Amino acid sequence: MELVGYRSPEASLDAVFAALADPTRRAILGRLVEGEASVGELAAPFTMSQPAVSKHLKVLEQAGLVERSVDGARRPARLRPEPLAAANTWLENYRELWEARFGQLDTLLRDMVRLEQGKKDDDG
Amino acid sequence: MADTSETLDEFVLERVFAAPLETVWRAWTEPELLARWYKPNPMCETAVLQHDLRPGGVLRYEMRFGPGQSHYERWEFDAIEPPSRLQWRQTLTDADDNLVGNPRMPDWPRWMLTTIELEPHADGTLQRLRWKPHEPTEAELTCFQNASAHLDRGWVAGFDSLGEFLKKHADAE
Repeated sequence: MELVGYRSPEASLDAVFAALADPTRRAILGRLVEGEASVGELAAPFTMSQPAVSKHLKVLEQAGLVERSVDGARRPARLRPEPLAAANTWLENYRELWEARFGQLDTLLRDMVRLEQGKKDDDG
Repeated sequence: MADTSETLDEFVLERVFAAPLETVWRAWTEPELLARWYKPNPMCETAVLQHDLRPGGVLRYEMRFGPGQSHYERWEFDAIEPPSRLQWRQTLTDADDNLVGNPRMPDWPRWMLTTIELEPHADGTLQRLRWKPHEPTEAELTCFQNASAHLDRGWVAGFDSLGEFLKKHADAE
């Protein structure tokens, strides 16, 4: 059973969250969800230069969110799903952990109430 | 049914238990009872290594997931107000009580401040859990806020296809 935060070693999620905190980078990722794209294709919807887009892509690459194909001049960027899936569920995992604990607390409390009720009935 | 809210500063989880307030308080404050429910799943074995229920007192706790696979938590109590409020700082340690980071997220806050508030409720007891970084470094606070921010609807709304994308890739594995 995996406890949140104790998965097998992988890239740190700190960089993923930092990368996702920027709205332009989120927009770039949103475009890459639809399929791979070159720097030129990514820059087109923004009033942004290609070097500016390249800078954002570098941050996304370092976070492991994006990989650039090395073939050809176009070097399309492609979304890597694993860190995104992990980031998406990070806080949710903690919520599920607390809810699992409270589910067991609920079971224990019901047993305790039954016991307390039983004692009362015996005394009464 | 649990109500949750996540802001950028604090995680809150509320739940109603069909039990009297004093009984819920006991389940949090008596170590033999705590060990029976404070674990990720019923199969996990637990042991309370140290329990000193007073302001400044320490609880040390072991969860055994298998041979040689234990996780340790350390709680330091700040406020104990029976029967309705308990506050402590918690962190992860190794077997020798040294603080350990989260291997997956090095900037995840080292100490979390946890508060339990109990209130009478028509169906028994309302329990409110508050959970937030304790005296975070700037990096820890940013990390926690970033993790919370992605739950904001604005973020998720820009990723309509994200769910599909992740599902497609998960199925392919």
